[in-house]
Amino acid sequence: MISHSMKRAFRSVGSSVQQREFMLFLLIALTCLVVGCFDSNFLTGHVWREILVRCAPTAIVACGMMLVIVTGEIDISVGSLMALLAAMFGRIVSQNEASASCWIGIPVTLGVGTFIGLTTGGLVAWGRVPSIIVTLGLLTALRGVTTLVMGGQNIDALPERLTALAKQGLLGVPLSVWTAAAVIGLTAILIRQTSLGRRLYALGSSPESARMAGLHERRLKLFVFAYTGFLTALATIVDVPRLPKIEAGIGSDFELLVVTCVVVGGVSIAGGRGTLSGVLLAVILLTMIRPVLTFLDIGEAGEKWTKAIQGLFILLAVVFDTAVVRSSIRERAA
Amino acid sequence: MMMAKRDRDFRWWHETVLGVLLIGLLIVAGSLMPGFLRIEGQLLLSRQLWEFAILSLGMTLIIISGGIDISVGSTMGLCAVMFGQCHFASGSLAASSFACLVTGAACGAFNGLLIAQFRVHPLIVTLATFAAFRGIAEGLSQGRSWSKFGDRFSEIARGTFLGVPLPGYVFVVLAIGCAVFLSKTPSGRFLYAIGHNERASRFSGIAVEKVKFCLYTFSGMIAGLTTLIYVSRFDTAKADAGKGFELDVITAVVLGGTSIYGGRGNIVGTTLGLLLIHETRLFVSRYWKIDELRSIVIGLVLIGAVLTCQLVAGRARR
Repeated sequence: MISHSMKRAFRSVGSSVQQREFMLFLLIALTCLVVGCFDSNFLTGHVWREILVRCAPTAIVACGMMLVIVTGEIDISVGSLMALLAAMFGRIVSQNEASASCWIGIPVTLGVGTFIGLTTGGLVAWGRVPSIIVTLGLLTALRGVTTLVMGGQNIDALPERLTALAKQGLLGVPLSVWTAAAVIGLTAILIRQTSLGRRLYALGSSPESARMAGLHERRLKLFVFAYTGFLTALATIVDVPRLPKIEAGIGSDFELLVVTCVVVGGVSIAGGRGTLSGVLLAVILLTMIRPVLTFLDIGEAGEKWTKAIQGLFILLAVVFDTAVVRSSIRERAA
Repeated sequence: MMMAKRDRDFRWWHETVLGVLLIGLLIVAGSLMPGFLRIEGQLLLSRQLWEFAILSLGMTLIIISGGIDISVGSTMGLCAVMFGQCHFASGSLAASSFACLVTGAACGAFNGLLIAQFRVHPLIVTLATFAAFRGIAEGLSQGRSWSKFGDRFSEIARGTFLGVPLPGYVFVVLAIGCAVFLSKTPSGRFLYAIGHNERASRFSGIAVEKVKFCLYTFSGMIAGLTTLIYVSRFDTAKADAGKGFELDVITAVVLGGTSIYGGRGNIVGTTLGLLLIHETRLFVSRYWKIDELRSIVIGLVLIGAVLTCQLVAGRARR
């Protein structure tokens, strides 16, 4: 009897659209509960402010990456792009250089980010090169350009007003969190309220029928890559001033983190399916692991296990979820 | 008319384009730098090539089947740590080499289990294990590294036979094995079938799950073998072994004409892709002496080669 109702509960969870969100929410809540029992300071605003600040750049870029993956493409060059943009931005606004102001640095960075996104999109849409190959090439190439731009030196001494704005921000909330909120709002409206958003989903779920329905496949692909490039530039501008200095290795593995967040958030890698809320929950889950471990104060030996725990969480979220979906499908068929 | 038909039937476009690019590069490099084409120099500089080459064989098979394995580099990290710990505990090279291979196979089997049995997308599974394996390696090793495995062990990577480094022979044997497997055995043809249309393969009675499981286990074992060569070359076992290898290997395979969507590709193409990347790297870093240019050129070569093939093949199709 009990097992029967359990099964029914699972089935209703499994069949609902919000199933992945539920799973992620459960994992986050459990983690908070366990750590909160350990030390109630964890549930204070100060800690969560720090976690949100760490989430912000990932969340901003994930909004774009999600749309890319929804159309059935992928972009693994965002980490290298972020490094290049950070180096350029740092070079332009740093006080050591013949100082141009932020008012030049910000538009230039946004422009270059969007331009590289447009190039990627152009190669994918008109050159018909698979997106994973274009962005794999850019991943390598942009890293090389970054090293050239940096010229073997770290960039520090960013203008104080900029670092202050990045750290304190407006009304006590850092600039990056404001930006992330704005980008999330914009993307949510784009997905739900505009025909453009619906077309992206249509294109991803069935390219053939989308083409027959007269959608401009090429323009849509151009748009998602340009949007991602723009958001990467935005994330760089708001996040980099927080760092003490800009190094050449900045943003390495960032592309894998963002892609992981998007797929853990339930976006189908084949395109056409996925929700923004799932992606955001995944960003929070994967970002909070490191602060949580630091908070638990498990010492240096424990810190070394961070990555393993991160991998475990990804496996839990994805594999368990898939198992539940499949058993619920079998139940329904039976 | 006749010409057009032959164009359409010609299946080796990609290999031809790569071959022409490679020969062109060698001619340019040879004329600009007279010493560049000398065999001794080339063999001496080939040491780092072999590890990528061996890894790319397993990757070629996986990509042909429509999958991908992002976790090979992390698997190498875990294998290296197991090798080091086992050597530290037992002092026996044979036992630790065995442990290294078994770890690789176990990692691969884990991937294979999730991909074949639970039917999770390979990209997702290996992204997760990419983090997990490296994380376990870091956690187990706690930042330690092991070294001094003796001269005999160093011979694996540094020894030569008839002037060619020993790993070169390992690659040649494995490459021939893989090529024969792909073209002459039923299981090899199944890989193409699965990559081309998995559902149709399942309906036509191919044991898709079994083939995939064995495939990822094989890839893990290859990673274990590569770790032995890597550890022997540096005489150090550390958790960061093979970091970043996955992207270079995938680059070589797709440059070699293996379709990232599966169903198309061969070992000849992969070998040409590897050689093209390797020679480009050597030429750029020796001619301009700026290391950063290497990665820029490689990235552009990858995009350019695939773009050229798309355009040429597209025109031929029309």
